[in-house]
Amino acid sequence: MKKLLALVLAVMMLASIAGVAAAEGAQTLTIVAWDANTTPYLTAQKEAYEAAHPGTTIEYIDVSSQDYDTKVAAMLAGGDTSDIYMVKDIPALLNWYDAGYAENLNDYIAGASYDLSGFVGMEANYCVNGEQIALPFRSDFEILFYNKDLFDAAGVEYPTNDMTWEQYKEKALALTNEAEGIYGTHYHTWLSTAVNYSVADGVNTLVDGEYSDLAYFYQLILDLEDAGACMSYPEISAAGLHYSGAFGNGNIAMMPMGYWYVATLIQHIQDGTYNVKNWGLAAMPTKEDVKAGSTFGNLTGVMINKASANKDLAWDYVAWLCGEEGAKVTAEVGNRPAWVSEGVADVMSAIDGFPTDEGSKAALLPTYVAIEIPGTALSGQISSILGEEHSAIMTREISIEEGIENMNERVGELLGK
Amino acid sequence: MSQQAARAPQARKKYKMGKLERKNTLIAYSFLAPNFIGFAVFTLIPVVLSVIMSFTEWKGGALSSMQWVGGDNYASIFNTAKVGAKMAELGFFGGLDYFFTKVDLGIALKNTVFFTIVTVPLSLICAIALALVLNKAVKGAVAFRAILFFPYVASMVAICVCWNFMLMKNGPVNQILMSIGINFNKSWTADSTMAMWAIVLVSVWRNMGYYMVIYLAALQGVPRELYEAATVDGANKWQQFWSVTLPQLRPTTFFASIMLIIGCFKIYDTVAIMTNGGPGRATKMLVIYIYQEAFTNFRYGIASAISMVLLVIVLLVTIIQFSMESKYSNN
Amino acid sequence: MSQAAANNPMNESHFRLPIGKILLYIVLIALSAFTLIPFVWMISASLKLDREVFAFPMKWIPETFHWENYTLIWSKVPMLTYFKNTAIIAICVTFIQTLTSSFAAYAFAKLNFRGRNVLFLCYIGTIAVPWQAYMLPQFILMRSMGLYDRLLAIMVLQAFSAFGVFLMRQFYQNIPNELCEAARIDGLSEYGIWLRIMLPLSTAAIATLVIFTFVGTWNDYMGPMIYLTREENKTIQVGLRRFIQENSSDYHLIMAASVVSLVPVSIVFLALQRYFIEGIATSGLKG
Repeated sequence: MKKLLALVLAVMMLASIAGVAAAEGAQTLTIVAWDANTTPYLTAQKEAYEAAHPGTTIEYIDVSSQDYDTKVAAMLAGGDTSDIYMVKDIPALLNWYDAGYAENLNDYIAGASYDLSGFVGMEANYCVNGEQIALPFRSDFEILFYNKDLFDAAGVEYPTNDMTWEQYKEKALALTNEAEGIYGTHYHTWLSTAVNYSVADGVNTLVDGEYSDLAYFYQLILDLEDAGACMSYPEISAAGLHYSGAFGNGNIAMMPMGYWYVATLIQHIQDGTYNVKNWGLAAMPTKEDVKAGSTFGNLTGVMINKASANKDLAWDYVAWLCGEEGAKVTAEVGNRPAWVSEGVADVMSAIDGFPTDEGSKAALLPTYVAIEIPGTALSGQISSILGEEHSAIMTREISIEEGIENMNERVGELLGK
Repeated sequence: MSQQAARAPQARKKYKMGKLERKNTLIAYSFLAPNFIGFAVFTLIPVVLSVIMSFTEWKGGALSSMQWVGGDNYASIFNTAKVGAKMAELGFFGGLDYFFTKVDLGIALKNTVFFTIVTVPLSLICAIALALVLNKAVKGAVAFRAILFFPYVASMVAICVCWNFMLMKNGPVNQILMSIGINFNKSWTADSTMAMWAIVLVSVWRNMGYYMVIYLAALQGVPRELYEAATVDGANKWQQFWSVTLPQLRPTTFFASIMLIIGCFKIYDTVAIMTNGGPGRATKMLVIYIYQEAFTNFRYGIASAISMVLLVIVLLVTIIQFSMESKYSNN
Repeated sequence: MSQAAANNPMNESHFRLPIGKILLYIVLIALSAFTLIPFVWMISASLKLDREVFAFPMKWIPETFHWENYTLIWSKVPMLTYFKNTAIIAICVTFIQTLTSSFAAYAFAKLNFRGRNVLFLCYIGTIAVPWQAYMLPQFILMRSMGLYDRLLAIMVLQAFSAFGVFLMRQFYQNIPNELCEAARIDGLSEYGIWLRIMLPLSTAAIATLVIFTFVGTWNDYMGPMIYLTREENKTIQVGLRRFIQENSSDYHLIMAASVVSLVPVSIVFLALQRYFIEGIATSGLKG
């Protein structure tokens, strides 16, 4: 009995010592993220940071991605003190800033003499009134996925990184084989995958109120639809067809999509649920007067919550995540970090399952990436208007000209106010 | 005491009833309290806050950061400046036409009201018909009831995806139409006119099972004696329906029609999944618009203002129905 | 009620050919078939591979049956926890809602008191305001009361809804006032009337409310999404949506999970629908 008591006491003492020790060095960083359980890069980032910083634990608060903005709006308004919030899109970030939740990072950046050069200017999209309110860690640009087997079968040459849209159209038509149910290309229902390419020239933007530059791309898609070279918009939207399954099914030769699809594609090919076997990447085609390798993209970033009690720790994490070390971790799991260098590109193309040809690797470094839609106070409303007219054009309820006229008129009215 | 109280049966002997009435009121409040306290704290107060919010500009910061802007939000959603200018230029109806064809709120109102006017009567008729049929000892009634209630319990995603499939260009519905000589060579949800009807179809189909259950329950409360009396008087089935069943179901119809109207005015899920308001703005409904303003544009004041438009319409409809109901029940 | 009945004493319904009945069955069966299509589609999709779900033309019967989808969902997310949480919430909400609603509805239907109509309009008015419009103030309020990320939050949100009061009030209006009057004369208190007369006469109504509340709470998504954050607190619909988000193309798993989540609500419906059999509530009632 005594023995037992002594043992219990000893265990209790040990436990309390361990408890104190843990409490001294232990710090927990809370990060609000979407789909935290199944997003490989989040797990990888957490593990890598925790390994390099013993005593610090990262805890994700998981929110479903579709309702991220809604739930985060509620959390922040309710006085949530989580340290870091992931930034999904720029209009939402601007709103958080307006409502007073975003910590200004300027002093942290200056204090740590943090090197911003790796972002090649993309961080400016998170800068408002001279305040850097967030930093990006992922930058997904639009890229062309293609199914090599279908190209081989049709005897068409693989897409190159300096293709024009006309050449792309020729290939799409040549690859189409109605009898075998093969489509030359595939457009998801979003406005961005259809016509956002007009901003690749660095002059046009989606918030300038003038949309005649979209006509070329609408015409291109509708022509391809008419020729049966891609599934029609009404069909895809009615079926709720998801792009990943569409390309994964193996009867689509080309598909423009964000870089994030690389990770999904590799994973599903490896677990055997996709029919696609050999695939490659090419830079998005460009119009003749635009520099080859130009495309558009979007950022994913991190914001420090003003109400956080651990801002210094949070900054330490942000600096690590958005710098070269974090970039390599992000790249290792098939994602395209915002901070890039030759070293990071090597990591990206070295992952298991990535196409081995030179073209695909070269496509990883676009020559120019325009932002999909710049963050302004009106970006959200403009996107809504463009989206509505987009659906009307794509279902052919109105002509391209009418649609663009509507866009100009409606956005013009918004901007004129 | 008030006129209302004077109408109460207990209060006929007006002068002596003061104490008893107070006691009755207390008893009534004691019945209400358990529900009302929870209701007031968790629903009524936030709703009142959102009424206030509709007169403010708020980005979602602390509640104290709301800024009073008076009627600006309402001016903005009705686009009074532009509509006013059009009215001055094209006359009153020209301005109205502009409002209902170009302004978001006007379009959403027009769509929502159209949808409601079509869906509510259709749903009610189908629900009553089904309830009457399945209230009888039809063989397999249990199975039919369960099946027809199913659309209400099943996942909305599954339902909408399925219907989208059936309403596709080469889908079964178009094929059936083709076989009777109607050639509609387009996906319903991709057509400005038919997209609305697709949503009506799915909604009626979903509502009818739901309200069928309510009517089934209400039919249990119709005293059998009334039918017996009617039979003795020589009424046929159809006459029984009009003179016994329908009047007896009036409170339920009141409930069903109000809930249906509110439900139709608040339709969101079906539209969001099937058409997302498209093509263009052909099926943009009030709540789609509210959602857009609140959680895409973060203009909470505007979103509240639109909700108030919805609230006013529903309250007006309810008050009209309410007064009609009390007129009937007094008879 | 008898003026219309007195006019026309023909009573042909006894001798009609069964054509009407046959037609009725055809319509019922057609409707049911139509209604079952999504269900069949759900089951069929839940047994397919991801890429087969939207393959065109659609195959109703999968080439090979992938039963493993049903085991996969249990391993992918903690479905059991979700089920448990949802069941706790749904049962508590249904209990509180039914009890307090029928209580309040009695006051609205059978008692006269000052402010009755205004209060009632308040109830209906709140149903009319879309939740999106008052979600944020409500959240701030609830959070300040310490109800964030607790199952209790969803319970109190759902349990006092205006819907139940409205529904029960309408059913109580069906019950003749004379019955209450008689009971009052017999010396029964209002509480006694509620317990001895109203409750027993409204079993069908209560069954309806139980079904609707249970199903509504079970299928609620937005409330739990906003209010519940920690993994151990999440509910089945949040879990389902997590599927949709995380495996946004994995419709086969989504549908498998949907089918599983349907089982409890179907059981509740089937168990309670016996209260809709004609005549149960009317016995002993002399209007």
